[in-house]
Order: sequence, then structure tokens, then C-alpha cells
Amino acid sequence: MDSLHLVHVKLLAADLLSLTLRHTSPPSFAHRGRIVARAEVVGVVVSRDRREKFLRFLIDDGTGCVPCVLWLNHQYLNANSSSGTLDTDPTGEMALQMSEVVHLGTLLRVRGRIVMYRGAMQIAVRDVILEKDPNVELLHWLQCVHMAKECFDFPLPPA
Amino acid sequence: MASSTLKPGVPITLRELEPSSDVFKQGASLRVTGNLQSYDVESAIAVIQDGSASLKVDTQHLRDISFRTNSTYQFIGELLIRPDNDAILQARVGRNVDGLDLNLYQQSLIIRRQHEATLLNSRRA
Repeated sequence: MDSLHLVHVKLLAADLLSLTLRHTSPPSFAHRGRIVARAEVVGVVVSRDRREKFLRFLIDDGTGCVPCVLWLNHQYLNANSSSGTLDTDPTGEMALQMSEVVHLGTLLRVRGRIVMYRGAMQIAVRDVILEKDPNVELLHWLQCVHMAKECFDFPLPPA
Repeated sequence: MASSTLKPGVPITLRELEPSSDVFKQGASLRVTGNLQSYDVESAIAVIQDGSASLKVDTQHLRDISFRTNSTYQFIGELLIRPDNDAILQARVGRNVDGLDLNLYQQSLIIRRQHEATLLNSRRA
């Protein structure tokens, strides 16, 4: 199998939002014939909606706005399991810490799984990184272009 | 939260923002970058500059941003064109981008646009 499905693929929003939906179970996505399951985008937060169990936000990289959801419901999930509570759940704490860097106008790098929600693509966030150097966004653009030329433009390896 | 159909702020250089250009349209969503030339506290109007080109930016909706003359700022918002082609960007978000290499920004933008044009053509084909 093509190994791209294992990594967070650097994508521009326009590329991410135009992925082809493959009707598999669970749904998967393809970019020029290659399966892409996880993505990494870099852009500016232009919308933010904090709820009790999740944080939804939009990342604008100039080619599109990517909807992202960061789940903050770990305490509810843990309450239903015997594994522990939020106090001992590093994942829940990390999610809360990540939610605190999501502010309007900040430059973020977001990684996560690509999922469908109500017919639209979004990223189920795994990592949020606050980027303080504005030049990293340019590097991301160039890496996306490089990936397109050096990876996606080549035919798939034989199965 | 705003709809996920919110338009992206298309990055442009201030020099490209001329009345004859394709991006000079009422309501166009743009991302602009420039050095802060002046800021009026009462009107919340900032003027940013890039070389000989400048643009007024209405910052009344922005919070948690402090303005320093000669620092570099980036804004995303909608273009409002008033009579006599007097343009002002109504900013939705803004940030300080001191340290941004403006030459690298412009060169990267050119490469990115070429990539976007190639993608667009391949989708049409």
C-alpha cells in the first residue's frame, strides 16, 4: 500500500478541500490517486468557537479555509472507562493546553486526521503548534509545492 | 462561529492593489502585508506601506493587537471601495509579522500562484 496514508501530508487548504472522497468504511480520501488520511496545514485562525466538549476553528492559508475540530471531551470518555480521570489523562491536558493557543489572528500549524462532518471535510486535530516566526508559513507553502512536484506528480509505485 | 464558507483572504502585495487589477473588487477577501506608517486611535484606521504603495486598514473589529509605527503587520479582511477608487480594508483579523522577509514572501507568493494555476488547469482538463 502507498505509504502516504501513514503520515501527515503537508497540504494547502485548496488541495485538502478538493480531496476525492472514497466510499470506503471508514471513508478515506485521495489526492491524485494516492490515499491521504492525515494532513498538516499552516495558516491564520480566522474563526473560533469554543464549546464544552470541543473547539472548532478555521485556518485560512489564502487558498481556502480549513475547518478544524479539537475534541475536549476526554473527561467524559474517561468517566465511562476504568482507566482514570482527567487528572491522570495527559491527552486531555494536552488538548486543553492546545486549545489555549487558538486565538483569532494567530499563525498555527495543525495536524490531524481528515474526516467528514455533515458532508464537509474537516481536520480532527491531533497537534496544534503556535508558530511565532512568520517565515515558517512561506516554508510550508514551498514544501507543499515541492511535495506536489516531487511526490504527487509521479505515478504510484507498483502494488 | 462563522460559516466554514468564509472566503479565504487571498494574499497580495500592496503594489498589486491597483484599480485596474483583478483583485481590486468591492468585497474582495484579501490578505495584505506592510509596514505601519500611521495609526489613528480615534478612528482605528491604520495605514500600511510597502515601497511606494500604501493602504488604509479599518481595525475597529480587532482586539489584542498593539500598533507600533514601522513594525510590519498583516491583515485579513474585505475590501471596501469608496468613490474615487479610495480603498480601505475592513480587517477581520490582524497580526504583527515583524521578522517576515518581504522579498522571500513575494517570491514564495509567485511560486505558490504558479502551483495554484497548474492545479486549476489540471482540474479543468
